[in-house]
Amino acid sequence: MKKLDPKNLSAQLHYRASGNPPGTMPASAISNCFPGLEFDFRNVWRRIFVGIELHEADNYVTKTDRGFEHLLHHRLLRVDGHPLVVPVSGPQRPGADPIPLVTSANPEGVTFMEWSNALAEVLHAKAGKKVRCEFTQAESSLPAALPKDKKKVLVVELELRRFFAQGEQGDLAVIAEELAEPGELTQGLCSPWQNDYRECACYYWAASRPDYVSVEQGPQGTSVGINWLQKDRSPEAPQEYVLDNRTDTRLVSYDDLFRHWEESLHFQVEGRDHDAVAVSAGDGGDRDERSE
Amino acid sequence: MSAPSKELSSPPVSSEARRLFALSAPQVPELHLFQTEQERHLLVVNGSRLFGVDAEAFEALERAQGARDGEAVQRLLKELGVDEAPFIDDAPIESPPIRALSLAVAQKCNLGCTYCYAQQGDFGGPAKNMPLQTALESVDLLLRDVGQGERVNLSFLGGEPLFNRSIIRAATERAVEQARAKGVSLTLSLTTNGTLVNAEDADFFEQHGFAVTVSLDGGQEVHDRLRSFKGGQGSFTRVMENVAPLLARQRQMQVSARVTVTPRNLELRETLDTFVGLGFHSVGFSPMLSSPTGRDEMGHAELELMLEQMVDCGREFERQIIAGRRYPFANMVNAMREIHKGTHRPYPCGAGAGYLGVSASGELAACHRFVGDEEGAMGDLATGVDKVRQARWLTERHVHRQEPCRSCWARYMCSGGCHHEVIQRGRPACDYIRGWLHYCLEAYSRLAQARPDYFGLPPAAG
Repeated sequence: MKKLDPKNLSAQLHYRASGNPPGTMPASAISNCFPGLEFDFRNVWRRIFVGIELHEADNYVTKTDRGFEHLLHHRLLRVDGHPLVVPVSGPQRPGADPIPLVTSANPEGVTFMEWSNALAEVLHAKAGKKVRCEFTQAESSLPAALPKDKKKVLVVELELRRFFAQGEQGDLAVIAEELAEPGELTQGLCSPWQNDYRECACYYWAASRPDYVSVEQGPQGTSVGINWLQKDRSPEAPQEYVLDNRTDTRLVSYDDLFRHWEESLHFQVEGRDHDAVAVSAGDGGDRDERSE
Repeated sequence: MSAPSKELSSPPVSSEARRLFALSAPQVPELHLFQTEQERHLLVVNGSRLFGVDAEAFEALERAQGARDGEAVQRLLKELGVDEAPFIDDAPIESPPIRALSLAVAQKCNLGCTYCYAQQGDFGGPAKNMPLQTALESVDLLLRDVGQGERVNLSFLGGEPLFNRSIIRAATERAVEQARAKGVSLTLSLTTNGTLVNAEDADFFEQHGFAVTVSLDGGQEVHDRLRSFKGGQGSFTRVMENVAPLLARQRQMQVSARVTVTPRNLELRETLDTFVGLGFHSVGFSPMLSSPTGRDEMGHAELELMLEQMVDCGREFERQIIAGRRYPFANMVNAMREIHKGTHRPYPCGAGAGYLGVSASGELAACHRFVGDEEGAMGDLATGVDKVRQARWLTERHVHRQEPCRSCWARYMCSGGCHHEVIQRGRPACDYIRGWLHYCLEAYSRLAQARPDYFGLPPAAG
């Protein structure tokens, strides 16, 4: 028998199983703030309406059940009176109004609001009930705005699923089974950590990773050093910071990171590659020497 | 310890209450341990988290607890991975929005119950009715800052509120209208002695889905002894005649019985089964801990008898639930729900926070019991909530500021007990409360195993 067996809801919610790291707790998990790291929480919204399946990060209908085929590839614009898309406008210039941010890929200049915030209120009040859903009249591969003419939408009453599994006394502490098939919460994961080593700059919250390393101060207050992601670490390599323009082959690529980030990247100790720092044997390692 | 009063005809105290007193005595503030026939349990007080625990860990915790060794307790909780930072800190809640109001629409009563906190209805002052304007302003205050989808409760108390029927109707209609316009979910409730309620009231309560609570202290003989008209004649027959149509009409409305337990009506099981049989939606018991005259207050010996009876009712609840039947013993239903959720809170109720009472003349009070009492004064309708007094109240009433609560394992479940009773009389019922909670924890464990479906848990494996 394991030492502890959580019984009531507060125990279940807060219990960290023996051997699990703190990040497995909902409150301390990175995904609590940043979806897509341990698992992609956004996937729980795909089946929030009975009959259709939505994109996890868009209001686009990706699949439909029988009887709902007419909604396939349409966009869900409004739920129970709450809009899911809002217009986006650009920076304000002196003496002029901000302009709508319209591009060829976004001709109506709108952005979709993330599901959990967009649906929170409706879910709170109407879970388990049918709600008024307004879709684009036609299939809509590009983002679409709410039409000015209120009649130019396709109105369907869809049942809003309950978010939490139900017990006789109400919500349990687990997400309802109908919302995600086994594996779905992780299937959309990229390789976030490996990616982020390159994707995110040196001030990224989760990986305050090195940037400008092996830095030598020059006589006039200038400095020379290299980009942490530079492949050539030999002493002969030019001491020059290579800017990441996403194509420069002198830097570690995403592919390199996915395949062998442990070898491609170098721990930094006192501003220098750890694997370039040798501990001299015999004297307890107090004195560091630069190796070849 | 005072002797049980002479009127008492209950069976003599058996070992059950004593067993619970002994097992539930406070030892260390961090945890409480208990065993059922099937399993050993650990209640981690921080977060009201309940665990099954193996023999080795249980015995280690038991040793540390018995030795009052706080350091060892902390170390063991850490080893078990349940040593999180406190879920409840010392900070009082700040300026909570008003989400529930009770209106003392009639500060007068036709009954002469000796133990009444409202001193036979008038709170020790002249009898009065709440004017229409005051009632409507109260409704406006309640619904002023409420957003769409939020929930509010409006309740009518007294005295006997039905002395001022027209105001109840006007305030209800105003509240319903405003709530509908704002998309707010409104619940309505009324506590009555049942002597004035009529068929039209039944229609009105049913139409608006009222939660009606009728004060009843037992069967005819017992009830009449405790709750007679001011002239001395019994009220039971009248109340039951009046309430019968309400009981028959419960669709939207729910009609519950609330029993105030004094040394003179300790036959709880009999009372419970009588009222369940009559069709009350639920039946709840509450001990009389503080009466203005000191009469009919429960002492330790009476509370011991009450615990014995409560557990008897609880055992019947367990049997009925296991058999798949409804048994609306409110104390138990509520305890099972709160234990299952792991409710942990720094205040016993919303009094002085999201819930306030309004007196007939428009003063705000910490709750319906503090009407006309300087101790719980919170401003008035004209000037609004007195934020300074409210802040002081919330600071002083936080369970971390209460003694002996700070070192008690039950502090986040009991949360220090009814403010009014504590301020009037102190805490004479701690042993009773802990004993009851200990029993409820045991019952929860048994029921979760036997009827996981009652809590919505999946069936046990195998």
